[in-house]
Amino acid sequence: MKNLLALLFIIALAALLLYVAANMPPMGDPDNPTATHVIPRYLEGAEKETHTENVITGIILNYRGYDTMGEVTVIFSALAAVLAVLGRERRGRIHAYVDRSTVPSSVIVRTMVRFLVPLIVLFSVYTILHGEISPGGGFQGGAIIGGSMIVFTTIFGLYESSRRIPQKVRFPLEGSAVVTFFLVGVLGMVGGGNFLTYAWPRVAAGLQPALVTWLTVLVEIGIGLGGAMVLTSILFCMIREEEEIAVVA
Amino acid sequence: MRLLHNYHYAAAMLLFCIGLYTVIARRNIIKKLIGLNIMETSVFFFYISLGYLDGGIAPIRTGGADPARMVNPIPQALILTGIVVAVSVTALALSLVILLYRQYGTLDVDRLYRDEDGGTHGGPSGEDAP
Amino acid sequence: MGAYRHFPILMITVPLVCAVLLPFLGYLRERWVPRAALVPLSVSTLLGLLLVGKIPAQGYLSYHLGGWEPPFGIEIRVDYIGLFLLLVVCGISLLAMVFSPRYIGKEVSGGRLTAYYVLFLLMSGAMLGFVATGDVFNLFVFMEILALTSYALVAITGNRNAVRAAFKYLLMGAPSSIMVLLAIGLLYSATGSLNMADLSARIAESGYTEVLVVSFILFVIGFGVKAALFPLHMWLPDAHSIAPSPISAMLSGLLVEVSAFALLRLTFSVFTAGNDAIIGGTSEAVSVFAAAAVLYGGIMAIMQKDLKVMIAYSTISHIGYIFLGITSFTKEGLAGAMYHMLDHGLAKACLFLCAGCIIYVKGYRRIEDLKGAWRQMPWTCFAFSVAAISVIGIPPTAGFISKFYLIYGNFTAERWPYALVLLVGAILAAVYCLRVIYYMFFQPDKRGAWEEGGGDAPASMLAPVCLLAAGTLFFGVFSGLIIDSLLKAAAFLL
Repeated sequence: MKNLLALLFIIALAALLLYVAANMPPMGDPDNPTATHVIPRYLEGAEKETHTENVITGIILNYRGYDTMGEVTVIFSALAAVLAVLGRERRGRIHAYVDRSTVPSSVIVRTMVRFLVPLIVLFSVYTILHGEISPGGGFQGGAIIGGSMIVFTTIFGLYESSRRIPQKVRFPLEGSAVVTFFLVGVLGMVGGGNFLTYAWPRVAAGLQPALVTWLTVLVEIGIGLGGAMVLTSILFCMIREEEEIAVVA
Repeated sequence: MRLLHNYHYAAAMLLFCIGLYTVIARRNIIKKLIGLNIMETSVFFFYISLGYLDGGIAPIRTGGADPARMVNPIPQALILTGIVVAVSVTALALSLVILLYRQYGTLDVDRLYRDEDGGTHGGPSGEDAP
Repeated sequence: MGAYRHFPILMITVPLVCAVLLPFLGYLRERWVPRAALVPLSVSTLLGLLLVGKIPAQGYLSYHLGGWEPPFGIEIRVDYIGLFLLLVVCGISLLAMVFSPRYIGKEVSGGRLTAYYVLFLLMSGAMLGFVATGDVFNLFVFMEILALTSYALVAITGNRNAVRAAFKYLLMGAPSSIMVLLAIGLLYSATGSLNMADLSARIAESGYTEVLVVSFILFVIGFGVKAALFPLHMWLPDAHSIAPSPISAMLSGLLVEVSAFALLRLTFSVFTAGNDAIIGGTSEAVSVFAAAAVLYGGIMAIMQKDLKVMIAYSTISHIGYIFLGITSFTKEGLAGAMYHMLDHGLAKACLFLCAGCIIYVKGYRRIEDLKGAWRQMPWTCFAFSVAAISVIGIPPTAGFISKFYLIYGNFTAERWPYALVLLVGAILAAVYCLRVIYYMFFQPDKRGAWEEGGGDAPASMLAPVCLLAAGTLFFGVFSGLIIDSLLKAAAFLL
């Protein structure tokens, strides 16, 4: 009965949404409102105004940098929320569960993971640093590091991987993204512009391109480090909980 | 017929409804969360389709690409934010599921919320501390 | 343009960044965390107060982040109504924060204490950002910070009912967030813009009416869940009653109001009030649901045995009030809705904190246990009564002013049935509030549960409670100035 009601509701909603889809601007048409209103300036001007060849990075970090500041705050709140719900892992207690999360794996898998994880991390560094001229950026790089930690932890267990990125490394870096953004923002205000102005009006015009580029890279690094550490901490936190359940059961 | 031309949008809308149905009707909370992720993904798909341009190229200026042919970069930038939000919500939801499973020993919503009647929500605070 | 143009952004970002830095202090000196957490909120309040009277003649203060003029960059736009709500948010968060240390120290176990303050600051900062922003996507981002922190804060005690309530909240809140995201996408597809002011101009000349209508419907459903508008309210009684009392005060006194305010802004500044083709039908439906909310919330509140659940149902009823004010589309109704956000915030925060005091001292949650409570806890009971009188809407309190304007607004719009519903709602509120007051003051304490001179709540908890109660009286007596500027601002919106 309840499911039938839900089904009827969903069918009504689907009909409404399909009606909208049929009345939306035709997809891919260069005369759509989306293609004519704001973006011409972004596409034409990003290179000169934000000094990033990748327009998306220009939008994320510069034109709409405030959104991204909100976004790094979201991911930090996710960490704070997960820690509030589950509690942070304590160093001493991990020993009891050594290798519990390890799935049985052959020598081949272990060797390949040992070989691949450094390469993955290297790739993520490239992704972070090259964000402004090629696809990539801080979040993508951070997520790749987080992914590599998932692979590593699956094979070698929590004890091994939490020795690779110990808590005393993660703890100070978790908030680095928000703090970097705030510092860059306040520096923009000190430099005579608004919050998050990268090209400070008080700096000579000739120096501004270099300034903008360096600030962009700084923010990318902050986001990358912060994102990677937050994802890793959330991962460790959850695995520890899973193991405690296993012990209780 | 515009709907056939806009089939990306139509697919995104249908996926959205499938996800919402999963959230509402499924009893297993992990499946509900999967439904939530289907909804999120459908919206990401919708946004990216909004930026599509016939014969468009990636919005990267390297090598002097022609700006007039580039796809719309705004939805891609927005959806990066959307993805991070989705990941965060999923992480929190899964932590709550871990805790719920430890405390109630079930993943079935009907059994989770079984003893809940209209009048007396919850006992005195601190009563059921783990 | 003086330095004050930077104040709104600092108000928002200082709590956020201090929240990120707080764990370091928690690592070094955990005892200092509760006091340190007061600093950023005080800074925000101070900056907000300094902004009063600094709004330029055009009616709003616009701040272009990164120096990019809208619609290319994100804009922060603070008008009179926005500044008013910013100050309400700052004030109530500050008082709830002052209340927190003793209460939370008892309910939340050691390791989670710092997390509580971090989440609290993130929530306050996000609320400020949510109110001040002039960009729809930015609105979504701050809404998500708010949502995440509030789910976690409901569950923070780790008690099994709390986790369950938080999960229920998440299961309703997360799909609604996604609906808002979809609505933003539809809006963007029809206009190509994300800035609110630019959107309203683009909507006027956009040919895609169907898309805009559905976008508005999705916004209403999405924010309706966050604001607990009647058929979408199921999460509220659990979440608001089980959360620790300062958090209940924040959720009930601010979060639902702020969500209603977001809908108000979208209706008036984006879709624009006169645009019947787009918002006409939906706002009619919202009025009906809001009227149902007033009655349903009131009746359910009367039937409750648990004090906090009763207050939570009363919130559902009062959200109906706010929406009836918004949908009247008159300047009196709108000013009444805004003023109701203030006095409902003050009164509900006060009621929940009073409930917190009682739980802290005695551990009682049931209304029956309150018989004769004034003998032991006179201050708490007096504050509770003042706030309850404001909830009913009896003259010397702020509740009277806002209800008067809400009913007046609905009369001028010739919406007789809704005005009648508002009156009935006030009677229902009188029933459930006076019952508690009657128990507290006029019923004999047969079981001897309350001892005279047994001690009221500690001063750090009584001070915010009494200040909130005094606030409802103050804004009831000296309402003229604020109401005038709200009426002006409302006329500007219409």
